[in-house]
Amino acid sequence: MMKSSFFASASAFCLGLVLAVSAGSAANAAANCIKGDRKPPYTIGWADIYSVPTWMKQTQGTIEAEVETLKKQGLVDKLVVTDAQGDANVQIQQIQSMIDSNIDAIILIAGSSTAPARVLADACSKGIAIINFDSLVDTDKVTAKVNTDSAQWGDQAAKFLINAIGGKGKILILNGPAGISVSDDRRKGADAELKAHPDVKVLAETNTPYNVAPAQEAVTSLLFANPEIDGILSLGGALSAGAVLALDKQGREQVPITGENARQFLELWKEKGLKSWATMQPNWLGAFAAYTAVQALQGKDVPAFVKIPLPVIDNSNIDEYLARAKDFPADGYIYSPYDEELFKKLLAQK
Amino acid sequence: MSIVPSAKPAGALYWPVQAHRNIGVRALFLVVLAFLVAYGVLFPGLFTASGFAKFTQSWFPLALVAMAQAILMLTGGISLAIGATVSLGAVIAATTMAGPLGVAGGTAAVALTGLGIGAATGFIVVKLRLPAIVVTLAGSFIIGGAALLILPRPGGVIPAWLSDLLAGDTPAAFMLLVVIVVLWKLYLATPLGLSLYAAGENPVGAYRSGVPVDAARVAAYAISGLLSTGAGLFVAAQTGSGDPVIGTAFTLNSIAAAVLGGIGFLGGQGTMRGALAGSLLLSLMISVMFFLGFTPVAQYVAQGLIIIGAVAIPQIRKVQK
Repeated sequence: MMKSSFFASASAFCLGLVLAVSAGSAANAAANCIKGDRKPPYTIGWADIYSVPTWMKQTQGTIEAEVETLKKQGLVDKLVVTDAQGDANVQIQQIQSMIDSNIDAIILIAGSSTAPARVLADACSKGIAIINFDSLVDTDKVTAKVNTDSAQWGDQAAKFLINAIGGKGKILILNGPAGISVSDDRRKGADAELKAHPDVKVLAETNTPYNVAPAQEAVTSLLFANPEIDGILSLGGALSAGAVLALDKQGREQVPITGENARQFLELWKEKGLKSWATMQPNWLGAFAAYTAVQALQGKDVPAFVKIPLPVIDNSNIDEYLARAKDFPADGYIYSPYDEELFKKLLAQK
Repeated sequence: MSIVPSAKPAGALYWPVQAHRNIGVRALFLVVLAFLVAYGVLFPGLFTASGFAKFTQSWFPLALVAMAQAILMLTGGISLAIGATVSLGAVIAATTMAGPLGVAGGTAAVALTGLGIGAATGFIVVKLRLPAIVVTLAGSFIIGGAALLILPRPGGVIPAWLSDLLAGDTPAAFMLLVVIVVLWKLYLATPLGLSLYAAGENPVGAYRSGVPVDAARVAAYAISGLLSTGAGLFVAAQTGSGDPVIGTAFTLNSIAAAVLGGIGFLGGQGTMRGALAGSLLLSLMISVMFFLGFTPVAQYVAQGLIIIGAVAIPQIRKVQK
C-alpha cells in the first residue's frame, strides 16, 4: 500500500458490456452507474487510501491540477479528499460518507482488491460515477477502471533482464509487499519468461514495502549470502534504488537491473552508468480519473476498462526524463508528460 | 454465588456503584454524545433505518476488537495479534462458507480458531510466564502468515444473503452488539468473570484469596481470540470477501479505543462501556470530520487533539480535586 502501483486483474479485461442503468435518461449510451440526473458543477470525491507516500502526493497533485482546470470550465465546484491512512475499513467508511453526502463522483485507489466491492455497488446504484484506478477492485459495479497492466509490467521487466544477462545467470527478485495484488501480479507476469529460461537461477526473493530503506536492507543481507549475482529483477517503486545503493555500499560491481521511474533510481542509473530498463505507473492516472468521471457524468460513454500503455524508459530517452527531474520531488517519480489530447485518445480506444 | 445476604441492599447499591465506575469516562461519554449529535445534525440520514445500519456496521468490528483488547488489558495483559487474528477470521470465513462447510460450518471454524488461538496464546503467556507483548507480537507474525497461506491474495466469497443479513440495510450488527454486551454482563457474574478484575488488579492477593487467577486470564485470552475472529467474520461479510491483510490496523485501533475508554495498562482498571465508547468515538470521528469538510492533514491534527482531550480532561479534574 505504500507507493503503489496496483494492478489490473485479468478479470478486468473480461468485463462485460457497459450496463445501461439509465432510468429514462436521454443519454442512451451512458456509462455504467450513470443515471443522467446529476448536473454540473459536480462535486468529486477522491478516496485516497494513504496520503503519505510521495507517489500518492504526486498523484493527488495531478488530481488537484485537473480539478482546477475543470473548475475553470464550470464543470466541477469542489474536490473532497479523504485519507484512509492505509486502512481498507476506514476507506469503506469514508466512501459511505461520500455516498451519504450525495457526492457526484468518486475516484479511488482501493486499499483492498475485494473489500470495497459492496460499498461501491451501493454508490453505483445511486448514480455516482466511480472511477477506480491504480489499485483495482474486483467488481463491475464501477463506471470505469483505469490501469496499466501489471502482468505485462513483470513480463517486460523479466524479458529485459534475461536478455541483459545473456539468457543465463543468477538473479535476485525484489517484490513489493506480500498479499498485495499488484506485487503478486507483477511477479506472476515475470513467471513465463523465467520458466522459459531454466539457466536463469533465482537465488532469492524479497518482499518489502516499495521504499528505498527496507529494500536496501534486504538486498544487503542477500549480498552477504550470495557472492555471485548477475542481475536483479526489481519489480517496482524505489526497490531498485535500494538495491543499487546496497551494491554500491559493499563495493560490489553494479549488475543489470530493472526498475521504475523513481527519480533517485533514474539519477543513480545515469551516475553509475547502469544497464537498466524502467517503466512506470504514471501519476497522471489520478488526473485522468477525474477527467473521465466528469466525461461520464456528462453522459459520454466511457470504456469499462481503460488500459494505459506502459511508458518505457531506457538509455534512449532517460535524458529526457532527467532533464525534467528538477520539477519533481527528490524522492518522487518522474512521470511521462500528459495533456487533454492524450486523455481523449485513451478514452477513444476500445 | 449467593454471598450477598439479601437482594434489597444489593439492588440499592448497584446504581451508585455503576455511577462511581463511570467517573473516569464521563468526559468521554460527553464527547461521544457531542459527536453523535454533530453527526446527526450534519447527516440527518443517520436517523433512517439504513443510515443507522450503515453507521453501526462501520463501528461494529472496531467495537469487537476494542472489547477483545479491553478484556486482556483488564487482566493486565495485552495483544498485538488482534489485527492478524481479525484477518485470519476473515479469510477463514471467506474460504469456507461457500464450500461444503456452509455458513454454519464456516462460523464454527472461525469461532473455534479464535478460541483455540486465544487459549493457546493465553496458555503460553500465563503458564509459561512469558511477557504478553512478546508472545502476541510473535503470534501476530504466525497468525498473519497463516492468513496469507490460506488466502495469498484478496479473494474468497461470502454468501450474499449473509452479507445482506449482517451488513445490509437492517441494524443487525447493532443488535448483535447488544447481545454481546449482555453476554459480557452475564460473564462478569460467573466465577471466571468475577475473577477477571481481581486477577488484573492484584494477582498475588487474588491468588491467595483462592481466586482462579490463571484460569481467568487464559479464559480472557480465549474470549479475546473469539471476539477477534468474530470481527474478522463480520468484516468478511461486510465486504463480501476475504483479504489476508484487512485487519492490520485493528491492533493499534483496539489499543487506542481501550485506552481512550479509560482502561489502564496495568490491569484491573476500567470498564467495558468505556472501551466501547472509545471505539465509538474513533469511528464517529472519521464520519464527522468528513462532513465537517476537514482536509486529511487537519484530520490528523484534530484526531490527536480530540483523543488527548478525552483522556486528559478527567485527569485534570482529578488533579484539581
